[in-house]
Amino acid sequence: MASGVSFWERIGFRSGGGVGDAGWGRTLGVAIVSLIYFLPVLFIIFTAFKPQELALSVPPTLSPTSFFGLIPDQFVFSPTLENFGSVFSRVMTAGGAPEATGFDRFFFNSIVIATVSVLLALVLGTLASYGFSRYPLKGNDTYLFIILTTRMLPAIVVVIPIILMFRAVGLAGSYTGIILLYTAFNLAFTIWMMKSFFDELSTDVEDAARIDGSSETKVFLKICLPQVVAGLAATFVFGLILTWNEFLFALLLTGPDTRTVPVAMNQAVASGGRGTDWTLLAAIETLFLIPVFLVTFFLQDHLLRGVTFGTVKK
Amino acid sequence: MSLTQSARPTPTLFNVSADNWRLAIVVALVVSIIAGIVLPAAVSFWLIGAMVALVAASFVVNAYRRRYYGGLLVAPAIAVLFVMNIFPLLWSLGLSFFAYQSNQQSIRFVGLNNYIKVLTNEIAAPDNWHALSNTALFVVLTVSAQMIVGFLLAMLFAKQFPLRKYLLILVLTPMMLSVVASGVFFTYYYDPTFGILSYVVNDATDGQFILMSSKAGAVAGIVFADAWMWSPFVMLLVLAGLVSVPKYLYEAAAIDRVSAWRRFWSITFPYIRGLLMLALLFRTIEAFKLADLVILLTKGGNDTMTISYHLIRIANEQNKTSEGAALSYVMLFMVIVLTNLYLYLANRRNKGG
Amino acid sequence: MSTRTKIKGALMAAGVAASLGVADVSTARAEEVTLTMAVPDWPPTRVMKKFFDEQYKPKSGNTVKLDVDFIPWPDFYTRVNASLTSGEKKYNFIVSDSQWLGAFVEGGYYRKINDLLDADPDFKKTFMSVHENPRNAYSTYPYKSENYYGFPQFPDVLVNFARKDVLCDATEQKNFQAKYNKKLPCTGEEIDAMTWDDFKNIGEFFRRKKGEMLMGKPADDDFYGIAFQAGKGYDFSSMQINGFIWQMGGDVWDETKVPNGQAEGVVNSPVAVKALEKYLSMIDYMPPVAKTGTMDIFKSDELFREGKVAMNIDWIGVGEASLDPKTSKVVDKLVVGLAPGTPGPDGKLVRWSNIGGQPFVLTTWTTDAQIKEAVEFVKWWLSDDIQNQFAAAGGQSAVKSVYENPKYVTYRPWNRAWAASLDWQKDVWHVPQFFELLTQQQDQFDLAITGKQDAKTTLDNIAKFQQNLLTEAGLIQ
Repeated sequence: MASGVSFWERIGFRSGGGVGDAGWGRTLGVAIVSLIYFLPVLFIIFTAFKPQELALSVPPTLSPTSFFGLIPDQFVFSPTLENFGSVFSRVMTAGGAPEATGFDRFFFNSIVIATVSVLLALVLGTLASYGFSRYPLKGNDTYLFIILTTRMLPAIVVVIPIILMFRAVGLAGSYTGIILLYTAFNLAFTIWMMKSFFDELSTDVEDAARIDGSSETKVFLKICLPQVVAGLAATFVFGLILTWNEFLFALLLTGPDTRTVPVAMNQAVASGGRGTDWTLLAAIETLFLIPVFLVTFFLQDHLLRGVTFGTVKK
Repeated sequence: MSLTQSARPTPTLFNVSADNWRLAIVVALVVSIIAGIVLPAAVSFWLIGAMVALVAASFVVNAYRRRYYGGLLVAPAIAVLFVMNIFPLLWSLGLSFFAYQSNQQSIRFVGLNNYIKVLTNEIAAPDNWHALSNTALFVVLTVSAQMIVGFLLAMLFAKQFPLRKYLLILVLTPMMLSVVASGVFFTYYYDPTFGILSYVVNDATDGQFILMSSKAGAVAGIVFADAWMWSPFVMLLVLAGLVSVPKYLYEAAAIDRVSAWRRFWSITFPYIRGLLMLALLFRTIEAFKLADLVILLTKGGNDTMTISYHLIRIANEQNKTSEGAALSYVMLFMVIVLTNLYLYLANRRNKGG
Repeated sequence: MSTRTKIKGALMAAGVAASLGVADVSTARAEEVTLTMAVPDWPPTRVMKKFFDEQYKPKSGNTVKLDVDFIPWPDFYTRVNASLTSGEKKYNFIVSDSQWLGAFVEGGYYRKINDLLDADPDFKKTFMSVHENPRNAYSTYPYKSENYYGFPQFPDVLVNFARKDVLCDATEQKNFQAKYNKKLPCTGEEIDAMTWDDFKNIGEFFRRKKGEMLMGKPADDDFYGIAFQAGKGYDFSSMQINGFIWQMGGDVWDETKVPNGQAEGVVNSPVAVKALEKYLSMIDYMPPVAKTGTMDIFKSDELFREGKVAMNIDWIGVGEASLDPKTSKVVDKLVVGLAPGTPGPDGKLVRWSNIGGQPFVLTTWTTDAQIKEAVEFVKWWLSDDIQNQFAAAGGQSAVKSVYENPKYVTYRPWNRAWAASLDWQKDVWHVPQFFELLTQQQDQFDLAITGKQDAKTTLDNIAKFQQNLLTEAGLIQ
């Protein structure tokens, strides 16, 4: 990259011709598919900008803009930011003053809990998967399978023992408790995924390094780890997405101070003594989408760099 | 792996020594079982915790003394998993042999009775079997939909093209939604009065279209929502495999004029096989747990009750803890059989290839 | 019951006696007492918290804090159930559906309050000022026994929300008169006098497709006459069907007749079958979502607020949103009456209906100091002044002197139907098997509502299941 990447190349314009490359024709085709695929999400995002009165209008209002006359006027609404304000503060009792909803806290909780637990799982899981991959134990596959079984049962089955355990140890309603639980929740996936990345690496380079006198630690940190950056990124993204939206454990094991957004989000599902508050729900979800969307977007390059980056498959 | 070979002989079972992990396990099991039965939960918890620590310590000493790097690397993860997942699982396995309801004080050992009840009782069993067969239907439909759609999407994005990065994130977004929000919004999309789907269909056919009023429609609605959310998961895994195929292999194939089909099977497929397997495994496991979407979209109506939702009713709403535990272990058994079948077939293919 | 629990119970009783005896002495030193409360997150509980923070002054001189955990409605049961059954012992007060009483009393979580009532005549007087029907529903286990547990938080009944613009329209009035030879009900009083047959006629009459004439103009969307709850979730059809069965002279399994009351022969009696058939015959006239089995109390309310139906039978608890122009297109068109009745042998309307709303209860691990403050808090909550304020802020009150006050009907449009409805309220089962009875029944009703099964088969299945379950539980001999 010494020659520098031009602006046009950065945003995706590049001269075609390579075997793996395709031109603007492909862009057009994929754009149509992607946009259709994205429509249900787009509708939620647009609903977040909709005036509350129009939430259930028939015909449905679809868009805050007519996209240069593409969408007929009857489907267009004039956007508002009011719903985003309502997420954090709104009137809770008839005729009362707006009250804080606590959502600033819930967002903070979600970010802290998800980030810490996914990183923790990534560290522990990567170490373990390296162990499973490079120093197989007796009954290696059995251990791996037992780890997998921890993901097989619905959470409701294990939740009562966990509550009892948390109460006994004083972890109920604390950050530590839910973070440890989420770490475990993520480990199975992390270990399996990272193991498959480590398995793909050729051991030739490692062995050469060992013969040169590199320590085991050095082999892991300097040789193996850099080769699985894509895997780490992918695992982090998947772990983050699953943890970010976890519901049942969060409902039962967090207190009012450590509650996460997915639990609090149900405020908008049975809202103020009626059914769904569509625009409020959309606003919460839209805000809640932003962090995980950004993380995924910025890790995308790593995600796609390839599993066996720079190495030869064994 | 010459470095990992044992430096000393493993102690025999009854040899009391800090690295005798076999003895530690036996002692821990005996003590834990006795403590679990005899002592109140608040005390037995700590005792069992201490036993776990004992076993873990013996593992670590053993691994250290014999330079089992594998054991050392794996231990922390296993410890967390044990405390947070495996231990509660074993607890509920234990409960499945008792007559216990979480909202009552009494507990009584009944052996296999709960299992017999959930499988054969003339009132309870038909619902369970029915929910299991519905779940099987959902597993087959959602997983195959996700695998196919995910795979096709990955093929679309496999090549480098302008704006690829920006289009890819659009396709990835559905799986980032929380199930509550996407489920609730799907009820809106499917709603016969306010929803978009009925609006479009009614306009076109001049009739009254109600998607969720039949089993076929309800299943289609749930499968569509679930597949839409989770196909990106499959896509991303497959894509990671596709982009990792070294380009020179394709270049060589192009020179040899290999057909596209053969090129796929001989060059591309080996790179994505492991990841496809992983996707299949995890999506199957998740599909067995399908409940939230069903609860939000149909409440199990139109014959869409799944085993996971049924479990929530039994174990949570009705507090029939041990019956729920028994049923969940029946379900676990089925998942284990199925996933082992996958792994067996995958391994056989690996060896064959 | 273990010895531990017994000892705990004895200690607690002793503690209560002691604390009541020394009540005057302890006021000398101020303590800080925190009452933790689990409540669903909605206006009636938000109002309660607000009033407490703004107005409550404990007589004891202690500093009393009300620590309220607002839990979203959809997960409220799951959260409370897990907290109670896991032995977390976190909450002192819990807002509870009346039907949960048995399950949680038997579990040893809800505290019986008879001793507190007996020890404090003032408290008893306040408690007894609650209308008998809600008191039985919210407080007794077994139902209608003299074991008391809870206090009304938000009492609720089913009423008829209607659109006066549609019903009073001259053209519609004329056409209805011509078709049914009866006046189309339009005012509150006329709606009060409606029978279910009138209700059904309105459903049939107002079924308009998009473009057909409604109030002299082409309708801009499909329009329907009637809606009521017909959903599979929670209790969203039983609550309505029970009313039909009671009004026509049938009955559900009656726990006040334990152990002689039967399920088979009662639940599926010919009268009950006719009542269910009557209920089902109206589904066809309702918005199409009824055919999916998901028309719950929120969906029918949403349809009403969006102006898609002329009449909706629903809880007062969901009414507030129809008065807010942001969430309702019928704010200035709303008229509310009693839910329809069935003419009895004497020609007068029989109006039995299933009661809604929630009590709040005390938990067994609440300490003496907390109990003392809790009793004072409940006395304050049920006092005329606070109940009046609560009603003015959109709550309901089951305290006689409050709802009989002429001011009461001016607070909300549905309050005119409140007092008359209270006399006709019954509750379903309070037994611990409640959830099993309910889920099986809801599943069966859903099959009938979505047209997969007739009324007779449905009730036969329910009766058989209940007979079995309740015999096994020793509640039927």
